[in-house]
Amino acid sequence: MSFSKIKRRDFLKIMGWGGVGATLVGCDLPTTVTLEEGKEKVVSYLMPEEYVIPGVGVWYASTCQQCPSGCGIHGRVREGRVLKLEGNPASSVNKGRLCQMGQASLQAHYNPDRIAKPKIRRGSSLVDATWEEAYGLIAEKTANISGSKFAWMTGSVSGHQSVLLQAYLESIGSGNHFVHETINNAVWAKVCQDMLGDSNPRIRLDKAQSMLSFGADFLGTWGSPLHFSTEYAKFRTSPRGTLIQVEPNMTLTGANADLWVASRPGSEGALALGIANQLVSKQGLSMSGLPNSVQSLIRSYTLDETVTATGVDADRIADIAATLKRRSPSVVLAGASAQGHEHGYQCVAAAMVLNVILGNIGKTIESNGEFAYASMAPVSGNTHSLVSFSQAAADKRFDVVFFSGVNPVYTAPKSLGLKESLANIPFKVVFSHFNDETTAMADVVLPLASTEEDWGTHVAPYQAGVGEISIQQPLMEPLSTETRGFGDIVLTLLKKRKETAYEGFADYYAYLRNAFSTIPAEHKNGASDEQFWTDVLAAGLIDVGVKKTSLKVKGVEFDMPKEMGNSSAMILAPSARLGFWDGRHANLPWLQEAPDQISKVVWDSWAELHPSTAKKIGVKEGDMVKIASASGEINVKVYIYKGVHPDVIAVPLGQGHDAGFSRYAKDRGVNSLSILDPKVDKMTGELALYSTNVKVTKAAKTDDVLVRFGGSETQVGRKLVSTIPADVYERTEGGDHVA
Amino acid sequence: MSLSNLIDDWSRYRKGREEGGFHDYEHMWGMSIDLNKCIGCNACSVACYAENNLAVVGKEKFEKGQGMHWLRVERYWDEPDLGEERTSEFQQHGASFLPMMCQQCNAATCEPVCPVAATYHTPDGLNAQVYNRCIGSRYCSNNCPFRLRYFNFWSYYEDSWPAPLQMQLNPDISVRDMGVMEKCTFCVQRIRTVKDTARMEDRKVRDGEVQTACSQTCPTGAIEFGDMLGMYDPETGVAETRVTKMWRKHQVELGKTKQNKQTPEMRGYRVFEFLNTDPCVMYLDRVREV
Amino acid sequence: MQNNEVYKDINEDLKWAQINKDVLKSMENPRKGYWISVAVCLFLISFAVVGEVYQYNVGMGAANLNWPHMWDLYIATFIFWIGMSHAGTLLSAILHIMNADWRKPIYRFAEAMTTFSLMTAGLFPMIHLGRLWNMYWVLPYLTDRGIWPNFRSPLVWDAFAISTYLTSSALFLFIGMIPDLAICRDNARGWRKKLYTALSLGWRGDDRQWRNFRRTYLIMACFLIPLAVSVHSIVSSDFAMSIMPGWAVTSFPPYFVAGALYSGCAAIITLFILLRYYFRWEEYMTIAILEKTAKLTFAIAMVWTYLNLIEFASVWYGHSAADKEVLLAKFFGPYAPFFWGMIFCGSVVPFALAFEKLRRHLPTMMVVSILLNLGMWLERWMIVTPTLSLSYHPIAHDVMWPSWVQWFIVAGSFGWFGLLFLVFVKVFPSVSMYECKEMVLHRRELANKEISPVMANNPGGGAPATGVSSKSPGVEGS
Repeated sequence: MSFSKIKRRDFLKIMGWGGVGATLVGCDLPTTVTLEEGKEKVVSYLMPEEYVIPGVGVWYASTCQQCPSGCGIHGRVREGRVLKLEGNPASSVNKGRLCQMGQASLQAHYNPDRIAKPKIRRGSSLVDATWEEAYGLIAEKTANISGSKFAWMTGSVSGHQSVLLQAYLESIGSGNHFVHETINNAVWAKVCQDMLGDSNPRIRLDKAQSMLSFGADFLGTWGSPLHFSTEYAKFRTSPRGTLIQVEPNMTLTGANADLWVASRPGSEGALALGIANQLVSKQGLSMSGLPNSVQSLIRSYTLDETVTATGVDADRIADIAATLKRRSPSVVLAGASAQGHEHGYQCVAAAMVLNVILGNIGKTIESNGEFAYASMAPVSGNTHSLVSFSQAAADKRFDVVFFSGVNPVYTAPKSLGLKESLANIPFKVVFSHFNDETTAMADVVLPLASTEEDWGTHVAPYQAGVGEISIQQPLMEPLSTETRGFGDIVLTLLKKRKETAYEGFADYYAYLRNAFSTIPAEHKNGASDEQFWTDVLAAGLIDVGVKKTSLKVKGVEFDMPKEMGNSSAMILAPSARLGFWDGRHANLPWLQEAPDQISKVVWDSWAELHPSTAKKIGVKEGDMVKIASASGEINVKVYIYKGVHPDVIAVPLGQGHDAGFSRYAKDRGVNSLSILDPKVDKMTGELALYSTNVKVTKAAKTDDVLVRFGGSETQVGRKLVSTIPADVYERTEGGDHVA
Repeated sequence: MSLSNLIDDWSRYRKGREEGGFHDYEHMWGMSIDLNKCIGCNACSVACYAENNLAVVGKEKFEKGQGMHWLRVERYWDEPDLGEERTSEFQQHGASFLPMMCQQCNAATCEPVCPVAATYHTPDGLNAQVYNRCIGSRYCSNNCPFRLRYFNFWSYYEDSWPAPLQMQLNPDISVRDMGVMEKCTFCVQRIRTVKDTARMEDRKVRDGEVQTACSQTCPTGAIEFGDMLGMYDPETGVAETRVTKMWRKHQVELGKTKQNKQTPEMRGYRVFEFLNTDPCVMYLDRVREV
Repeated sequence: MQNNEVYKDINEDLKWAQINKDVLKSMENPRKGYWISVAVCLFLISFAVVGEVYQYNVGMGAANLNWPHMWDLYIATFIFWIGMSHAGTLLSAILHIMNADWRKPIYRFAEAMTTFSLMTAGLFPMIHLGRLWNMYWVLPYLTDRGIWPNFRSPLVWDAFAISTYLTSSALFLFIGMIPDLAICRDNARGWRKKLYTALSLGWRGDDRQWRNFRRTYLIMACFLIPLAVSVHSIVSSDFAMSIMPGWAVTSFPPYFVAGALYSGCAAIITLFILLRYYFRWEEYMTIAILEKTAKLTFAIAMVWTYLNLIEFASVWYGHSAADKEVLLAKFFGPYAPFFWGMIFCGSVVPFALAFEKLRRHLPTMMVVSILLNLGMWLERWMIVTPTLSLSYHPIAHDVMWPSWVQWFIVAGSFGWFGLLFLVFVKVFPSVSMYECKEMVLHRRELANKEISPVMANNPGGGAPATGVSSKSPGVEGS
């Protein structure tokens, strides 16, 4: 930031004249210009700006961008600085709550490692440039490009940003929009689309009395975690629902399950079919409505067959089936560990078959409706796009590629060869906040304004039957004068392409403002244009409703492979956590210091091993193991507990970033995505994240220790957390619960 | 301290002893934490970091046990000798999560041992820590059975908030320097703000008006915060707050070493109640389908 | 020497002039060995200075203190030094009242030890403070702060107790020295003359002075005994007043006092042997006195052992799971080597004192006394740390070892104590001349020997009339 170019008053406004911020920053104040020299006029907060009351925090509504869920937030602004985020109670997504990633959004905003200036590649290094140079270069490179040679890779995107982005793609004539998210529900969405006719059905946890989840970490990473957390609270109040979680390694949801069942990755489908068989044969439920082939598939999964295929006790399988029947309505979900296989689609479909047999469709699985404005509707990312993009890059199909909101160089397994094939793309533009792995390979880096500095509109991908557009508004002045909002950049790029439709908009704000002027009158409740806009900003969102749809169960045929690869080999589980997410938040010190929910590890990567496996390998907690797959190897310290299947080694995502990304993520841990085999789910093309066979051996110990919080793994007989059986709870608190 | 103060304090003390109860208190802030709802997601803890200027100490110091998490989420595995778990190959009932912040004990063991009275009880029923007065003898932390007091073993303000991260610091509360003890305050700055507002508007504080950062952000609403003395609501005519309702329902009373529950199965309990520190935080049992 | 001579506390044929000469000789210009000792002490102190300066600048984290180990070696060593201070009071005050006159040749340096170990101990509560620069806030001084210290806190009692005890013991040491200072005055030149003149407060040795002196000394002794007992009881309340398992032990006050007397006696034996060797004081620090001290030490060791067992038993029958865990951790946990080291040094080694042969063998006694003190130091550490490692809350169960800073400062404290003591023995008479004379007088009476008139009149007075050459005692002013 160049101090000579900004006015002192602006500077003070940014810095906040008062409180700790001012004192700490005080020593950095430029001393070249002093009051005595009469060069500047200092206006203190004794004469504050309009709308600023010194010492009083004001809450402004906005939208969280830490994950694609799109939670509404309130930001507390005091003396021009945003200090604290809370959930927006009006938002149907998070109902006033916020997760740790959302809280830590402030640290992404105030991060010391943010990119403050555009950069252009000169030779092997990126050097600072001006926006004019960057825009000029982009205009030059895209001037005569043919549509098929251009691609844009983004994370999940929605709202007016999506509109502008599509407009830009159209202006080039390209249809190459790759939407990539490592943590996704793509297979679930596809199965829902195929079997129910709606890719994003509404899950009524509040109505369900029991829940069987095949690796769906709905409290952590599945769908809309905060939304499901609020629903989970309802699920757990009387009459209290029963949660059964089946997964290879314990997730946050698994840690809260009444019954946690370890499964060998890939056997989830067989288990689901086995339970279906029990429901039909023992519990007297009907499977009519399912295609004959599926019916015979279910019949083939007798109890013995299922036990052989899954390794789960016969009693347990029968028990689960009985519980689901007894505690109706139920709901069966499937998530990352169920879908991450070459037959992932089948596994998820088998879970959905359970919903059909149990009669949950229409009871606990409802239609969510369709968002009214298709161009603004959320586009959810997947890993199929990553695979196909890698292939296209390797085939040298693109000359110019834009990246925004993604870090594919980090999230792509090395076996996809993406990093190498990026060299085939002559001109890469990265919209970025940080110098992450993809940004480091860019030809042009466009520094983005942070979530707290930018305008935007967002449509949450999962909404409980409503169609809310959530507003993102700046909570403070940009920290750097050289960063630009995403919308502003795309708008400028559009103008550079001589798109006359956008000439009238001075900036993205004007565009949005105009967009809200032109919203159909039925949403305005008779308010004047100005009043409506003010109301929307104050509320942070506007519900534009949904088109009602209904679910139709369709018979989908699928098979289940009996042989699931080498059953003796260990399987790597790259499990995701609410925290670092897919690794994008490893630069936030609060999240690095927040102990992992399950293992309580801080500032590091770790591998989870079952005690019996650890004994076999000969490692103790904190020892280093080498995990070798066909595509590479990583060395990581182990954490040993009984929440992981003996055939599985789980290495949660997040760490292992390149040194340039952040001072906080530097030299920390490993990226378990990097050694995955390039296997894909055969039906959807999604990366099969849970199907990489690895060899685990003891490795030499290093000086680096595994740091975990907590001196004891158990309560050593003290009554810290006491547990009572659910029937006692129902007897004492059933019915008269205090909300 | 003047003589008249001393006499006043003495008579207040006498009155309190003779009549019992907490009538001298303006408020008695308390909590109820439902472990049936707590999912152990850590949101409360990070919200606390954001609200209270907690220092991030880094891996090396965290390893030494010098982390500053005022609100820590503890995770326990079921003990292997609890019946069926003995032979179990897996943690089949998941984990036990326990969010622990300062329990704001009414008979706090940290208070009498501080040589300089840096920690004392406020008329709000809070166990306050006066950073300026603290000389760092660390006796209070030694005498806290919950181990909820954290010491500034180092000076953190330079390392924890490299510019511009320091702009996030909450100006309502201080950044603690090396050598003082700190702990959860029940977000005393928020209580202060609400009380001031209420006074300016010439009214009493309403139930739910004060929200600590943790209870506000808790995704499942497991943490309830409020006034244990109850608050008279002119609209409903009820003098109960959500927290007092929870305590009454679960038959846990302040000021008792041993709860005399009419329904012993009600879930409320306080951690280490037998130590008679009289904590203001009630936990509700975790529930599992067995 | 005849066989029965070795069982005498003091040779009753000792000439008074000889006593003066022998003692005053110790205050002559130091020899090489002395300077080496001073250098060693300064070297140790420099360690502590390095550690403390570093710790002061970066914070208590430098000491490897952590959550939950808020206290560690500093507090343990603090108790150790406080404990050591009890020996002087025991020898000079308690034995004085009990008329045990064998104490007379050795009580002076024991009293000095009391004062100096208190001066050492007093540093530790300051060193261990997170904000050292505010340490005076624990004192009840009137300022515009408008707040008293918290009188409920045992740390405040500590501050009172230690400062009172330090003042009283220093005063006691000084008062007891007045007649001897007069002897020094009469034999000194230069700055020493001025110093002793000022300090001897015009002592002439007349009857009235002797009467007042005796009365004052007795009153001080009576005052000091309950004070000493209360000081260590108060130090024990730092722990006993808490609610932590392993700390909240009712028997701690007597246990601490017993431990204090124990370590003090052991330290007296160490210094006894060193002084006897260095100043060639075989006539005064006789084997017989050493034996008596050793017997006393043995008795206290058994009391201490008994109180230790009581503590274990009360934990065992107390049915407090946390208490038991702490105890078992001491027995078998990571601190077990130190715990068993303490038991060995504190309860096994003292049995060496039960054998006359060993009691009378100086090198053995030296080793034994050092082991006893090591044991006592370990005891204090084993009181402080295992409880912090394993208190009620299992999330805070942790083991942490002290960093170099703590070891440096602990080592430096021995240097500091040594330096003070070394200065003392060169500036003041570390054997009480007048009391030795009294003792000789008394023994002569017992032996029915003739008492010379000079002896009868003025045991503590100025230059004796006979039996001393003009050359000695050679106390030089420079």
